[in-house]
Amino acid sequence: MLKDPYQVLGVSKTATQDEIKNAYRNLAKKHHPDLNPGNKTAEAKFKDLSLAYERVGTAEERSKFDRGETDEQQQQRAQQAHTRYHETQQDGGRYSYSYGGDENADLFENLFRSSGRGPFGRAGDRPGEDHLYQMSVDFKDAVLGAEREITLPSGKRLQVKIPPGVETGSKLRFKSQGGPATGKGAPGDAYVEITVRTHDQFKRVGKDIESEVPVSFIEALLGGEIPVQTIDGSVMLKVPPGVNSGSKLRVKGKGVAGGESRGDQIVNLKVMMPKKGDPSLPGLEEAAREWGKKYSYNPREAP
Amino acid sequence: MKKAKPCSIKEAAQQCGIAPELILRFISFEWISPADAVSQDLDEEDLARARLISELQHEFGVNDESVSIILNLLDQLHRTRLQLKMTQSRP
Repeated sequence: MLKDPYQVLGVSKTATQDEIKNAYRNLAKKHHPDLNPGNKTAEAKFKDLSLAYERVGTAEERSKFDRGETDEQQQQRAQQAHTRYHETQQDGGRYSYSYGGDENADLFENLFRSSGRGPFGRAGDRPGEDHLYQMSVDFKDAVLGAEREITLPSGKRLQVKIPPGVETGSKLRFKSQGGPATGKGAPGDAYVEITVRTHDQFKRVGKDIESEVPVSFIEALLGGEIPVQTIDGSVMLKVPPGVNSGSKLRVKGKGVAGGESRGDQIVNLKVMMPKKGDPSLPGLEEAAREWGKKYSYNPREAP
Repeated sequence: MKKAKPCSIKEAAQQCGIAPELILRFISFEWISPADAVSQDLDEEDLARARLISELQHEFGVNDESVSIILNLLDQLHRTRLQLKMTQSRP
């Protein structure tokens, strides 16, 4: 049973639309879930308020309600709210983390330090806030290093040198590029936190890059040279005879750059049979049958 | 919580039901700093924050200066809650 909207809003049934609107605004401000994060009572109350306001907030809806018509969808609509801001922060969001306050500084000190736009911006000489920005970089750029330009919210452009070998979570510091200071304080620093995008072919393991390369069973049996993609382009790789799925080959110096020396690329081989319907299959099967009459080997036997 | 893929300012504006210019304004005031600093793509967190700001301004009549103060206090509140949670979970 839905609650009586007039009761929820605390107005009489004869209240004017303006009175209803004001009552809603006043109560909504008080119980807004983002202004009461984690407070379940406020959240429930706000839901009731939204629903009540939806039913009597406009003259049209109100007359429907007063006539006793009910709109089943109204309640559903009120429930289907978007993600609330506080929900994005409860397990630590970017904004809670990047908040530039000193851990031990008290609340008002931080408030005074706010970017100078507020009315308290003039409180003496204070250093500017540190700002944290996010940046995602391509796998290749992270492995080899690169230079990219980002535009800060202030419109200022920042040349970012991505050091070779950078990993997700690394923060690059830009001295004095953060929030402005007040008075004679030093400006804050800007930090750019890197997220490395994944690559569909390559995976980073420490200083090495792993990739999977299919080989035919003939190449696996007899060995040969096969082209292999590396982060620097294609190279020819010598496959020794007698390899298996899971055999690893090392391509020297094609791994992650940075530091004293470059890592390697580790190629995981995967032996592939011809596809179904391949014209080579019937002859191959025939040959295998003949071979099987004379020889056998059991890979499940202990070596 | 499921994480939606970051989207462009235009898509974000559509999802929040507000004008793209308004989102650009929020960014220029540093109320929102896009998840991706290069492409200016916004993530779920940015979207929710934009929605909150728009609600504060248009439903509650909060002015620009007050938005800065509210966001600042909210950021501190969330950070403090987080610190409290971490302190409590420590053995």
